[in-house]
Amino acid sequence: MSGAPCPRQFEVEAMRDGRLGEVERASFGRHLTACAACAREARALDALAGALRSDPGRRGHADELHRWRERTRLLRAFDGSLVARRPVAPKASWAARKWLVWPVAVSALVAGLAILTKVRLGAPPAPPVLAASIQADQAAVWSRDSAPDNRERVVLQRGTLSIRVDHASFTGRLQVVLPDGELEDTGTTFTVSVEDGRTVRVAVAEGSVVLRLRGQPALAIAAGATWVPPGRSLPPIVPVSAPALGSAAPRALAPPPLAATAPPARGSRHRDPSLTDAAVDFRAAMALLRAGDGRGAAAAFAAFRFRYPADARAEDAAYLRVIALQRAGADGEVQRAAREYLQLYPRGFRRADVESLRR
Amino acid sequence: MMSGRPANPPAAARDPGGASDPDIMSRLAKGDSDALGQLYDRYQQQVRRFLVQATADAEDVDDLVHLTFLAAAKIAGRYDGRLSCRPWLVGIAAQLLRRRRRAVARFFAVLSAATRGRAASLDPGGMLQARSDVERALLRISEAKRITLLMAEVEGMSCPEIAAALHIPIGTVWTRLHAARRELRRILTPGEGGAP
Repeated sequence: MSGAPCPRQFEVEAMRDGRLGEVERASFGRHLTACAACAREARALDALAGALRSDPGRRGHADELHRWRERTRLLRAFDGSLVARRPVAPKASWAARKWLVWPVAVSALVAGLAILTKVRLGAPPAPPVLAASIQADQAAVWSRDSAPDNRERVVLQRGTLSIRVDHASFTGRLQVVLPDGELEDTGTTFTVSVEDGRTVRVAVAEGSVVLRLRGQPALAIAAGATWVPPGRSLPPIVPVSAPALGSAAPRALAPPPLAATAPPARGSRHRDPSLTDAAVDFRAAMALLRAGDGRGAAAAFAAFRFRYPADARAEDAAYLRVIALQRAGADGEVQRAAREYLQLYPRGFRRADVESLRR
Repeated sequence: MMSGRPANPPAAARDPGGASDPDIMSRLAKGDSDALGQLYDRYQQQVRRFLVQATADAEDVDDLVHLTFLAAAKIAGRYDGRLSCRPWLVGIAAQLLRRRRRAVARFFAVLSAATRGRAASLDPGGMLQARSDVERALLRISEAKRITLLMAEVEGMSCPEIAAALHIPIGTVWTRLHAARRELRRILTPGEGGAP
C-alpha cells in the first residue's frame, strides 16, 4: 500500500503468466531482488494464488459411497452409449411386418388378461429379479427385497451372511441393513456377522464395501480386509492377499432357493472366472483354515462349493468344510456338514473319513 | 521469491504399477469401460474440485463430472498423447461449463422476455453463506475469468494449455487472468487494485 509504485510492476504478472522471454525474465528476476514494490506485488499474487489453492477440495470431496455411485452411473451410461452405437438390423419390410401384427396383438391381449386376472385374484407379485447370491448360517435371521430404484435390500438381524453380488449383470445397489447401521456393497463378495444387535464382523473377499454404523464415520473395507469392532479380538484379521470369506458356518442354503435366484458366478468382465476366481477363492479358504479361523474357513469352503459346483475342488471344499467346523469345535454343524457331504458325494474319496467323523 | 504456479502433478499420470494415461486413453478409445473406470478413479477428485470451485451452484457438479468423463470417453480417440490427462479433462470440464452458462443465459433471456421483469439472478444466495471469503469473491467475478484463473492458479496449467483447452487466443487468457486477479483483489482488499 505504501511506497512508490515501480514502472516495472506489471512485469510481475507477466513473468508469472509466462509472457516474458528468457532474457527479460532474467533481467526482471534481478530487478525483483532489489525492488521492494515489485517484491510486494509478487507476494500479493502469491498470497492470492495460495488462498485459491488452500484446501480447495474441502467442499468438493465426495465420500467413498457417493463416489462409487457416481462411478457406477458413469459406467452404466458409457455401456449404454456403446450399445446405442451398435448397428441395428435393418427394419423388416411392411410385407413381413404385417404378418406380425395379429400374433403380437393377440399376445398382448392374452398377457393383459393374465395380468388382470392375477391382480384380481390377489396373486402375489412375481418375485423380483435379485442379483445377490446369499448364504446364511443356521442362526441367521434375515430377509431380502428389491426396491423400484434398482436397489436390493437385505435386512440382517442376527447371524452371518456370505453375500456375492455379480456386478457384471447387476448395475444397481445392494444395501445390507444392520441393527446398528448399514453396509453398502461396492464390490462383489463379502461376509457380514451380527450378534446381539451389533455388527461384529465384516470380511471382504472381492471388491469393497462401505460400512456405516450409527454415530460413526463411513468406513470403506477393501478386498482381503476384515473389520471387527474396536476392542474385539476375535476373530483375527487374516492377512491374505486373496479374499477371505467370513465367519460362521453356513448350512443348507437359507431362503430363497439360491440356485433359482443366484446367477452363475462370474468374475469381472475380462477374467475367466472358472480359472481365476475359483483358484483365488480356494486359496483364500485354505488360508483361513491354516490361520486357525475354522468358522471363516467353513464359510469360505461352503461359498466355494456353492459358487463352483462343477469345479474339481468342489468335493475337497465340502470335505474341508467338515474339517474346518471340527477344528472350530462346532460339533452340531460338523454332523450336518458331514451329512451334506455324504449326500452330495455318496462315492466320494473322503467318504470313509467323513463317516468316521459322524460316529 | 515467487513461488509461482503449481506444476501439474506428474504422479497422477501413472499410479504405482498402473497403466499410463495414454494407455488408458487408447483403451478407452476402443470402448473399454474398465479404462473409463480407471480414468475416473484417477482424476474424478481433481475434476470435481475444479468444478466445485468454478460453479456457483454446486448441485449439478455431479452431473458435470459425469458429463466430463463421458465426453472424454467419446473423444478419447483424439487424445494427444500427453503424459497426464488432467489438463485435458479440466479443459473438457471448462468447455462444459461454458456451454452450460450459455444455455442458462438463453433460458433466463427467454424467461425475462416472458415475464418482462428482471431475470432471476444467478446469484447463488444462501449457498454463498457457507463459503469462505475467497470463494465468495471468486463467485463474484465472471465465470470465464474465474475458470481461467482456476485453471492457471489451482490446476497449474500454462497459458498456452488454457488457450488450447478453451479454444481462445492466448492474449485472451492473459487478459482474463489479469482482470480476474485485479477484480478479486479489489473485492478482497477494497482500496487495493493490484498492478495496473
